[in-house]
Amino acid sequence: MTFDGYSWLKALHVAAALLFAGGMLASSVVLAILMRVPSHAEQFAVAARRYDHLVTVPAMLVVWTFGIGVALSGSWFGSGWLNAKLLIVVVLSGIHGLQSGQLRRAAAGDVVETRWSIPVIMTAIVIIAILAVVKPSFR
Amino acid sequence: MHVMMLRRLRLASMLEGSTLILLVCIAVPLKYVGEWPPGVRLMGPVHGIAFLVYCWLLLQTVGAGLWPRREAVLLLLFAFVPFASALSMKLIEREIRVGGGEVRYL
Repeated sequence: MTFDGYSWLKALHVAAALLFAGGMLASSVVLAILMRVPSHAEQFAVAARRYDHLVTVPAMLVVWTFGIGVALSGSWFGSGWLNAKLLIVVVLSGIHGLQSGQLRRAAAGDVVETRWSIPVIMTAIVIIAILAVVKPSFR
Repeated sequence: MHVMMLRRLRLASMLEGSTLILLVCIAVPLKYVGEWPPGVRLMGPVHGIAFLVYCWLLLQTVGAGLWPRREAVLLLLFAFVPFASALSMKLIEREIRVGGGEVRYL
């Protein structure tokens, strides 16, 4: 069996992306529940924050690092689909930063308002999957 | 309460501002006047990463309710202007001193 570095990079990038997306959706769901049912909010928020800290943040860093590695080794930089995907990942990472702050705030006992993150994250994940697999040409 | 977040943001602002100055004031002139492009090839991605980290940390503090909307927008705009990170750092230091990292905004 020969070592195929590109496939390994891509496999680890996809694995990290799944963990990142799952963690982001989990945080969104926790925040949405806490907004409607504020009792015991601190404990839930502390647990969600711990998961975010231990799994989602490292997964995001791996997504970025290995994603850049895959793009470089596959010479994908400059492709329209990758530019679109990069833009969406930047937005997703931004939403993650916002949610990370909201979780901290909820863990400290504050009520946090969040209404739009779940549909936005789900739509972003679907678009990213299509862009990465189909690689549509924008010309 | 969230002072550590603000301190991290101040550090990220310093790194983002320094890499922007290195890129715009040294690497870009070297490329176009001195015809030496490796500086931009190195500093471009380094600044890009520093900018993304700064934006992520800024949004984290916004999510934690540490900034009014106007100041959050200013902190983002300052990241695009060379030498304006000094203003960002001043704003962050003021928030550490006055707000003490307490949640003050929705």
